Amino acid sequence: MAGHNESGKKKSSEAANDLQTFSAENLQNNMKVIYYSQTFLSIVGGVIAGILGFKGLAGFILYFLIMAISSVGLIAKAKFSVHSYFDCWNRIIFDGFFGGLMSFVLFWTFAYDIVHIF
Amino acid sequence: MAEDLVLDTAIRDWVLIPLSVVMVLIGVLRYFVSKLMRSYQVPDAKIVKEGQVIVRARNLRSGANFIPSKAFRARRVYFSNEENGLLFVPKGQAQNAQAQMFSDPNMAMDMMKKNLSMIIPQTLTFAWVNFFFSGFVAAKIPFPLTQRFRSMLQNGIDLSTVDVSYVSSRSWYFLNLFGLRGLFSLILGEENAMDDTQRMMQMSGFGFDPTKSLSAEKDSLDIVQHEWALPKFEQRAEAVLRKLVS
Repeated sequence: MAGHNESGKKKSSEAANDLQTFSAENLQNNMKVIYYSQTFLSIVGGVIAGILGFKGLAGFILYFLIMAISSVGLIAKAKFSVHSYFDCWNRIIFDGFFGGLMSFVLFWTFAYDIVHIF
Repeated sequence: MAEDLVLDTAIRDWVLIPLSVVMVLIGVLRYFVSKLMRSYQVPDAKIVKEGQVIVRARNLRSGANFIPSKAFRARRVYFSNEENGLLFVPKGQAQNAQAQMFSDPNMAMDMMKKNLSMIIPQTLTFAWVNFFFSGFVAAKIPFPLTQRFRSMLQNGIDLSTVDVSYVSSRSWYFLNLFGLRGLFSLILGEENAMDDTQRMMQMSGFGFDPTKSLSAEKDSLDIVQHEWALPKFEQRAEAVLRKLVS
């Protein structure tokens, strides 16, 4: 994960008082980084949830916890100045939340069944 | 009815894992096949020109505040002038371009190929799953669902007292279908994941692109208010330099 993140972030705006000028290419690259890391984390989180035998609500709470941790990690990587890397807060916090959900459920079911039922 | 059913290990070995493996492999295969089958399409000069004009207009709009107001207005007139402005398309011509696009044989073939390469593997796999893997409990989903999902998830199983969490292999197929999208985007790199809804939207949006977006660009260009930002830049430069020096 660390290696992946290091090469990912790029500065996307000039230090702005009022003006926000963004390099579209860098912005898109940052979006991609977020998407990849969240997908990867949701898959790994699914396997963890299955192995540990989480059921029902506990599993979903674990998923949201993992997404929150990944958001915090990304914000920390952006040195807490979110506006110089992204154009609004929603991207880094809310965007990928439900995208990784299906992968999480798939791998959660898979690991849970393999370990506990069979 | 909350006891845990113990399922045969053979189900795990011969149903869950092979089904997932097959779906991953089919996804990879489809990716490579679509790469091979992509015919090179000679781009129509007129359409490319229109696309570039739109890009120029968009750049003008985003950079409007960095050029002096007279220069901005001159450029804007060049684009949206009634007689020979680039963005102005008379109504008669607009309809033509759209009709031409749909009757173009190359484009129709392309769309059909893309459609087919998406639908056929899905249909085949679904038929295969239904034929071979029906009539038994395949997996248990770790979270409880209401009774209404029973008919959807437990399709081959005819006992009504079994907990809804125990699902048939058809629902395992659907779960795989949605869940492997994330995996594909990771291993195949950059959005080559099969996202049917996205592809369909792209395909239906393509036909309308040139004609409507021209007038849309013209309207948004007309709306822009010019506010020259450069006078403030001296103070900004001063602030930045001061921060650097101190």
